[in-house]
Amino acid sequence: MMHESSFVPPYDAFFKNKLAAAYEKATGIKINYDVVSVGSLQTRVTTAAENGTGPDMTHIGFNWAFLFDEKFVDVSDIAGEIGKESGGWYDSAAEAVVVNGKWKAIPFGNIGQLMNWRTDWFKQAGYDKFPDTWDELLEAGIKLKKAGHPFGFELGHGFGDNHGWLYPLLWSYGAREVEADGKTIVIDSDETARAIDYCRRLYKETMVEDCLGWTDVNNNKAFLSEQISCTNNAESILWSAKKDFPDMAKVIDQSENPKGPKGRFHMLNPLCHAIFTHTQDQKAAKDFLRWLMKPEQAGAWYDVAVTYYQPFLHAYDDAPMWKVEPRNLPYRDALKTSHLPGWPAPLSRAQSETIAKFVVIDMFAKACAGKSTKEVIADAKGQLKQIYRQA
Amino acid sequence: MTAAAAPALERRRPAFSLGRWLEREGVFSWLMVAPPVAFLVALVGYPFFYGIWISLQNRPVAQAGEFIGLDNFIHAWHDPIFRQVVLNTFVYTIAATLLKMVGGLGLALVMNQEFRFRNLTRALLLLPFIVPTVLSTIAWQWILDPAFSVINWLLVFTGIANPGPSWLGNPHLAMLSLIVVNTWRGLPFYAITLLAGLQTIPPELYEAATIDGASGWQRFRYVTLPLLKPVIFIVTMFSVIFTFADFQLIYVLTRGGPANATHVFATYAFDVAMGAGQFGQGAAIALSMVPPLALIILAMAIYMRPSKS
Repeated sequence: MMHESSFVPPYDAFFKNKLAAAYEKATGIKINYDVVSVGSLQTRVTTAAENGTGPDMTHIGFNWAFLFDEKFVDVSDIAGEIGKESGGWYDSAAEAVVVNGKWKAIPFGNIGQLMNWRTDWFKQAGYDKFPDTWDELLEAGIKLKKAGHPFGFELGHGFGDNHGWLYPLLWSYGAREVEADGKTIVIDSDETARAIDYCRRLYKETMVEDCLGWTDVNNNKAFLSEQISCTNNAESILWSAKKDFPDMAKVIDQSENPKGPKGRFHMLNPLCHAIFTHTQDQKAAKDFLRWLMKPEQAGAWYDVAVTYYQPFLHAYDDAPMWKVEPRNLPYRDALKTSHLPGWPAPLSRAQSETIAKFVVIDMFAKACAGKSTKEVIADAKGQLKQIYRQA
Repeated sequence: MTAAAAPALERRRPAFSLGRWLEREGVFSWLMVAPPVAFLVALVGYPFFYGIWISLQNRPVAQAGEFIGLDNFIHAWHDPIFRQVVLNTFVYTIAATLLKMVGGLGLALVMNQEFRFRNLTRALLLLPFIVPTVLSTIAWQWILDPAFSVINWLLVFTGIANPGPSWLGNPHLAMLSLIVVNTWRGLPFYAITLLAGLQTIPPELYEAATIDGASGWQRFRYVTLPLLKPVIFIVTMFSVIFTFADFQLIYVLTRGGPANATHVFATYAFDVAMGAGQFGQGAAIALSMVPPLALIILAMAIYMRPSKS
């Protein structure tokens, strides 16, 4: 089993020391747990899939179930069993791994991206709870920046914290890149223009200038060094604060993304387990995944990471782990409105190319850097047409 | 008669000796050259030609390819990011190489003088080159971070700017920052190589020039520079190749952002091939480096060739 190094160290240790040992004791089969560094997993999965050698099972993310479709074993049978046993799957689970009607991986948990904010500074500005709409957030941000506590949302070329708020912002204004048919490019719309105009104001009137060049580590650093009062991130900020800055942890909260005119959205960031087709004993691999997802094992593994990985199975909706840190509850609720970048278009290679070329991210970033709304939409439209190979 | 001739022939032809055979110049030279050639064929030649083959295919990751001719190159040419990548790569390479050349030559000239702790200084000079790029770049990440930057702290402390500039957030400053970091990393390579070149220049030439009344500048212009030209050519050629194909430094600091302002061939090819799973397109973008690089090197070779006079 190949896994990207977890942000929560006990999570990896639990598999190695407890789960693998328990499985070996029960079946005599030894499971090796290979940890790869953050950011290198896709390269490693590519190498294994291309060469047909290496690990039998792997952790995958985003739309890789689609990208490596032909190299992953159909696990629809065990997905059905697991779903039945554990209260059924969230819809977003299928969005992440079902390709041509087949489950190509078993979803384990979502690493949700939500609003992380400082309650003490928001309170000083007159806010007891997190703003419910993007407009209210802008209003709060202007006050907070004046008070010396600006916002900081990633607008650079990171892996997740940029997608984590810019796609939901786009969707919440009713805009999208491509229609659900996967062909019709609809980025050039009034809704997109309104989302961009809003983003530009949010950047200029509430944020630190540097956000344009940020990658995923920068907002964590800026938040924990008290440079910013609000950002979009996974649970890692609160996790680090509790460990290293306990006083600051007391005044951090997490909330769902604000609503736009067309609703509230979040980004889907799934962690799933897939079996390579080069695996010699595919039945043994399936048996292992089925065993792993039984509540005794999966429940304990979720508990170790205390909701950092939000289960895609309804049986865990009221699990005790949600009571350990009630501030994490919005991550559970956000699953219902979470989608992969590119939604509502189905998974496709063009969509992957759009993400890798940061078409949507750069559309917003260029507007924040000073280009006109019309220009950045035209740029994005041109790129999408080229990617989707349309004249 | 035949029976009598045979022993005579045997006497004339010496017994085969492996040692002697190996010592033959034709055999020995090939023997020495064979391992590096095999190494180059396996690790450079094969991937290069395989890359060309992939660039001519529609080759999604984990799927069989389909031959499409030059379609990937045409697709890249119509891609606005690709055009920006070309421009970025040229700006980055030209600026960083010129800075390294001038700075490296200056450093080499200083290091060629007699002064206390000269050897220690020469050793320290190599430090940026020795430290793994990823590690030194992480240090630069802190130096360029607006919240923790020592530069910004100084600017604020001295009242020059408040707040300090956004080194990696502003598109122009981001490119400038990358050029500075690349120059910092590549300077020792230039300096040490040019220093080695300087030490091969016979002191008599300087003495003769001094006797003829040449000034310091004239000695540099008419003695040092012409004799250093071949070394400058070699070191510049290496530097252009490394800078043109740079990846680590940019990937760690900006990943090509903000808004593609620092994307170069290697980072863009990686994102397209690995991120988007489009091997054919990625290979085409990476291979697009070859013609301009070859032209630059050819132009340099013509310009820097030793003059007959």
